Amino acid sequence: MTAKNQTRSANPSRREWLAGAAAAALAGCGIQQRPLVPSRVSIVKAPAYDQSVYEIMRRLLREQLGDVRGKRILLKPNLVEFEPGTCINTHPIVVHAAFEAFYSLGAASVRIAEGPGHRRNTLDLADSAGYFQTIPRFEDSFVDLNLDEVTRVHPVRQFSRIKKLYLPNTALGADLLVSVAKMKTHHWAGATLSMKNLFGTVPGGIYGWPKNVLHWSGIDESIADLHLAFRNHFAIVDGIVGMEGNGPIQGTPKPAGVLVAGADPAAVDATCCRIMKIDPLQIQYLRLVSGSQGTNITERNIRQLGESVDSVATAFELIPEFRRIRLENT
Amino acid sequence: MSVDLLLNRQNHDGGWPYVHGASWTEPTVYAVLALLAAGEHRPASRGLDWLRARQVRDGGWPPQTGFDESNWVTALVALIPPEQLGVRAHARSIDWLMGTMGEESTITFHLRQWLLGDSSPITGSAGWPWVRETASWVAPTSLAILALDKENSRNPGDALRRRIAKGRRFLLERMCVKGGWNHGSVRVYGAEGRPYPETTGLALAALRGVSGQAVGLSVAVARDFLRDCRSADALNWLRLGLMAHRQLPADYSPPEIAYRTLIETSLGMLVAETQKGREILWG
Repeated sequence: MTAKNQTRSANPSRREWLAGAAAAALAGCGIQQRPLVPSRVSIVKAPAYDQSVYEIMRRLLREQLGDVRGKRILLKPNLVEFEPGTCINTHPIVVHAAFEAFYSLGAASVRIAEGPGHRRNTLDLADSAGYFQTIPRFEDSFVDLNLDEVTRVHPVRQFSRIKKLYLPNTALGADLLVSVAKMKTHHWAGATLSMKNLFGTVPGGIYGWPKNVLHWSGIDESIADLHLAFRNHFAIVDGIVGMEGNGPIQGTPKPAGVLVAGADPAAVDATCCRIMKIDPLQIQYLRLVSGSQGTNITERNIRQLGESVDSVATAFELIPEFRRIRLENT
Repeated sequence: MSVDLLLNRQNHDGGWPYVHGASWTEPTVYAVLALLAAGEHRPASRGLDWLRARQVRDGGWPPQTGFDESNWVTALVALIPPEQLGVRAHARSIDWLMGTMGEESTITFHLRQWLLGDSSPITGSAGWPWVRETASWVAPTSLAILALDKENSRNPGDALRRRIAKGRRFLLERMCVKGGWNHGSVRVYGAEGRPYPETTGLALAALRGVSGQAVGLSVAVARDFLRDCRSADALNWLRLGLMAHRQLPADYSPPEIAYRTLIETSLGMLVAETQKGREILWG
């Protein structure tokens, strides 16, 4: 049993078992392969970056996670640029709230790690983004994934053209890798959420700044490869204030007032897309990891907990090249 | 104090880690250069042994032992003088740099683009990539130019001069519209790219001896960054870049900032030596 399965809540409902049984029957007919059990994705309202985020996060993780006692947790925020006061980076309060919540649930250790794609001075970037101010003794808990020890990995299935994939040992060795991403539109991929956030696990010390080898190997395909390389991950998306328009750097703030989380990053990202009023089936990397039919990211195969998508959905502005992926246009 | 930090962090195998753990080529080169400049020859010599043992058959260096391909760190190793690194090892590193360029400048890439209907003019510029078979970027190009320029001051040659000129042309093409450099994109995600302090300093160091409006604009950007920047890494490179153009204000003294990494400490020592008039990164 994988760590991912171990941390997933047990006791699926009768409806979930029926859906699973139907999917299994169809798989037997060669029509579709999955899912066996619908993924559970939580949406909770979080109106502002304030003290309330801590309680909301505790509630969210308690609802989603099984037993994390004694586990080594690695939080992977999205740190991109030195622009204090913007919505480019995952807000430090969200990361600190997850940090505290995992400890309160009995985790043996919680570390924070990131490997930015453009800027080499990661600690300075974290400082500028408010992490040192918000998270006590931040430097003691932090690992720069760009400069970490690495191991070559061989994904069970590979979509990209990358010849040799090396990943940081801190991320590979965690019992649970938690992608703490930002809800943003993306100039090349359409949307950047928990799966795209895993680009930051690719070590700059090996591949450079930017990690151009991922672009040459195919962006969507590389996202899919990383998704498969880490089987023990969990996703939290900071949509309290997201980014719309020309994301992930040059866009404008978009308050969505939500945190979204779950043990299936593809289902979490698909839910975020629906909240942003983007069709997840038009996001290439989501299609890659969910099969040609996009079976495990369709609405009927995701069990939504907390708020409904409709109650929090708000259209994120898209650049003209991506207006075709707007839900109402597809 | 800084020397002590380097001595304390040296691994038993003679190399240095980025933070802790296995030795990597990049921090080892910076530590060796800093210790040589400080007259600490014994630990530097152990670092040089570590480096010499890791040269790959193609003449380049991998970023660390577990990765078996040469990449951009070869330019850093080539900054170590041949009398210290070893004449043959150094000559092979220069050959590796001369034979390497960004994928977008190769004939096969141009041919493929032409077959796909792309008729963009070939500019004659050529930078260096972080890893082979990918595009050129500002930082690896700047480091390669520094290494080749240093070699050209020892053993001048037309081929070296031409390659340096192509690299510098690449840097000028990738300068941000209002001066300075980021990682190497004039436009980022469809919008005008903004410069970074660290790459602006690094590119200016590589353009030492080059004048003109573009360099003047970038010097002005660097001086603006110098006033407000609080990153040790960025300030190190800004100071080197401005010194390369004799534009570091005479009364400049760095602010009280944290030197958070071994590379920042090593480079800080090299900057201090350069400020005293020792030319470590250029010939």
